Amino acid sequence: MGKLFKFIGLAAALALAIFLAVVTGDFGAWYFAWLVGTTMIVLIASASAVMFDTQESNSKGEV
Amino acid sequence: MPLIDPSVVDLSRLQFALTALYHFLFVPLTLGMTFILCAMETTYVITGKEIYKEMTHFWGKLFGINFAIGVATGLTMEFEFGTNWSMYSHFVGDVFGTPLAIEGLMAFFMESTFIGLMFFGWDRLSKPGHLAVTYLTALGSNLSALWILIANGFMQNPQGASFDADTMRMQFNSFVSLVFSEDAQAKFVHTSIAGFVTGALFVMGISAFYLLRKQHVALAARSFRLASVFGIISSLAVVTLGDALGRLDYLVQPTKIAAIEGLWEDSNAHGSATAAPWLLFALPNDAAQTNIAEIGVPYVLTPLITHSLDTPIPGLLTLEQQAGPRILNGIKAINALQQYGVTHDAASLATFKQYENDMGYGFLAQKNAPNQDLTQITPANQDAIVAQTEKDTIPNVFATFWAFRIMMFLGFYFVVLFAFAAYYSLRNELEKHPLLLKAALWSIPLPILACEFGWITAEAGRQPWSVYGWLPTFQAASSHPVGYMVFSLIGFAALYSAFIAAELYLMFKFARLGPQDHHAEPTVGGGATMFGKPQVADKSWQ
Ligand code: HEM
Repeated sequence: MGKLFKFIGLAAALALAIFLAVVTGDFGAWYFAWLVGTTMIVLIASASAVMFDTQESNSKGEV
Repeated sequence: MPLIDPSVVDLSRLQFALTALYHFLFVPLTLGMTFILCAMETTYVITGKEIYKEMTHFWGKLFGINFAIGVATGLTMEFEFGTNWSMYSHFVGDVFGTPLAIEGLMAFFMESTFIGLMFFGWDRLSKPGHLAVTYLTALGSNLSALWILIANGFMQNPQGASFDADTMRMQFNSFVSLVFSEDAQAKFVHTSIAGFVTGALFVMGISAFYLLRKQHVALAARSFRLASVFGIISSLAVVTLGDALGRLDYLVQPTKIAAIEGLWEDSNAHGSATAAPWLLFALPNDAAQTNIAEIGVPYVLTPLITHSLDTPIPGLLTLEQQAGPRILNGIKAINALQQYGVTHDAASLATFKQYENDMGYGFLAQKNAPNQDLTQITPANQDAIVAQTEKDTIPNVFATFWAFRIMMFLGFYFVVLFAFAAYYSLRNELEKHPLLLKAALWSIPLPILACEFGWITAEAGRQPWSVYGWLPTFQAASSHPVGYMVFSLIGFAALYSAFIAAELYLMFKFARLGPQDHHAEPTVGGGATMFGKPQVADKSWQ
């Protein structure tokens, strides 16, 4: 039952996100681009830091 | 309406420019650092590695210094609208007050509240809870900028308001038009991402400093990596969005784009518009209305500005001539408005409505009219007055042209710098490129400089208007005595310089001190191994 509620909750959040994306995409394309772009910049930068640690442990493993 | 003493107008402009430019020394770092902190903390939450928490703490401290000192410098400007620009506040207060109030009451409060939680909530909140707070702080600080840029967007391209002849002020009609105005949107993304570039170069530069000294290497190498990747995407975005802003200027502020490009004659004046050169270098002479020297790249201007291959771009001389009929209409509009103010008759109102859209040009002509009274314009003096006013419709070309060029050249420099930095960081080869590290360190102030020149482009290019096409700047000021203006100007300059000195002192102090390494360098692993043993600093660059 808990899982079902979680699923419904997440599905509702997803529907809301899509709705907002459509609305902001129509009226405020730049704002929408900023939201998506900023999220992307933050996540890619974060991924590059994770990659740093992976490279580091790989090079240690090789020694 | 008597005109305000021109020296008071100039001093008011100088004071606003000074306070705004001082304020904007702090703002971009806040806009960018908050999202860099988000990236660092996200990495901490995902990997669980303490080093990322340490990074968030350390860079958060430097961000905190900037925020604490910078925030005070913004407050004065909100009051300046009332004290030094009371005519402006009267004219557009209904419209302009709304975004300013939302900025103060919503975004600034949100930002300040979450900043408190971000600094003091580490032990009180769960990991994801604290991460959410950091994201909300970043969102809050950027939302503050959003509302200010919405207000500025209205000054560049007034949307969502109309003039009310009964109250003699702009009436606010549409919140949606104001918020979703394309100018406001494009300005927000360009400025916010310019802040990202500033934050990224700040983190990258200070990390380079540690790497050069072989100090705090584990933290510095990771910070450099994260900031260089953050920076390369942001710098590419700021250039792209800058292009979009330029195109928007072409669509709604033709005098500004012509000044930005030093374009006196139409782009097709010497043949087809397609071959028109984009000026890499020029020395615009405002008095002679020509460029003394020019170096241009043919075939670039038209596609760059119009996003087409053959649409002609009107030059400043043509735009001056095109203003002529609008000035005549504007004079009719103001005379009818004054008549309506006395008689409230339907005929005057109808005449005013007919020429309403050119009202601002009538205000502009007032400066050149006999006794600054438009009713004293006669067929005998009309041509001379219109010709003089036509010249007043264009901004200072030299300042606008060069402010834009400096910002733009710096933008491309950032792309190159971040590209090399990210490339060598991703290959873990930074230690082989000390010159790159030095360039990163020395480039820390450059994005702030680019932002300042960006604002000069936007605001000097908007002149002679405070609200484009509606209200000339010389009509917008308050009527203070000159002594009062000089006194307050010196006061602000002294106070703000003290703020800058305090910021620089604290930043240098805490950056030199570095993160408090509670453990010996190599225990945190990664990166430390790549840069060898810590060394005594090479002081030559300091
Ligand atoms: C090729 C690069 C760039 C182009 C084409 C560009 C274009 C522009 C234009 C046309 C404006 C005037 C907007 C107006 O009419 O109001 C502007 C303003 C501005 N620019 Fe840039 N820009 C570039 C790079 C940068 C960089 C690198 C920064 C800072 C890191 C920056 C920061 C700003 C700021 C703070 C403003 C004032 C606020 C605004 O109007 O958005 N720009 N830019």
